[in-house]
Amino acid sequence: MNKLNKHVNELFRGVPESEKKEKIIQEVLQNLEEKVMDLMEQGKSEEDAINKAIVDFGDIEDLKEELVEPQSVHKKDMTKINLAYSIWGSILIIALFVFINFYYTPHVIWFVYPTFVVLWWPLTLYFRWLKRR
Amino acid sequence: MIRSDIIRGHLDSIVLRLIFEEDRYGYEISKEISSRTEHRFQIKEATLYAVFQRLEKKELIESYYGSFSNGGKRKYYRITSLGKAFLKETAVEWKETKEIIDLFMEGLD
Repeated sequence: MNKLNKHVNELFRGVPESEKKEKIIQEVLQNLEEKVMDLMEQGKSEEDAINKAIVDFGDIEDLKEELVEPQSVHKKDMTKINLAYSIWGSILIIALFVFINFYYTPHVIWFVYPTFVVLWWPLTLYFRWLKRR
Repeated sequence: MIRSDIIRGHLDSIVLRLIFEEDRYGYEISKEISSRTEHRFQIKEATLYAVFQRLEKKELIESYYGSFSNGGKRKYYRITSLGKAFLKETAVEWKETKEIIDLFMEGLD
């Protein structure tokens, strides 16, 4: 029965290791062995019986397809992280402008302009996050 | 042997029917199909296991390990109530399909 074993393992070589795969190999082997026994009872030599069982088995393309789990599309939701990043980023940038403004030109208040510009960044990402929810 | 691509689409129902009659294991099913069709149709075992996988995933059948035999523990399949309902549905569908195809295929010879 070693030949059967070898053949079945060969068949399943491309399939990623998993508990499921092991179980199926076991099941397949068990059934094949029973078939070989049957064929031998019908008068075939062991070698003929094994060969016939292997040929009858066919190729396992269909089975492979069933076995390969569709890659779970757990695309991480990045919108929340992006939003947080944009908020922290814009706070830092605005703080920088405020500092420069009051440190170097305390008489002219101009930091409001760049603040409005920068705020578009978190605002955009905020709505993208809303859409995603 | 008959061209199998037409039968292919109905393999799930064929296997389900056999499991519906009684709990069965893989080799038994392939033997049963061969003997009932008088060897006019033979299922490739590899295909059979794909069918099991599919049916099990859809929860139409479930499996359990049965008695020891020559090779080891046999894996048996039993039909679920969902499977029974599905089978009933398929039978109706098939009857309809057959009638339609018959409309065009009968009376040609």
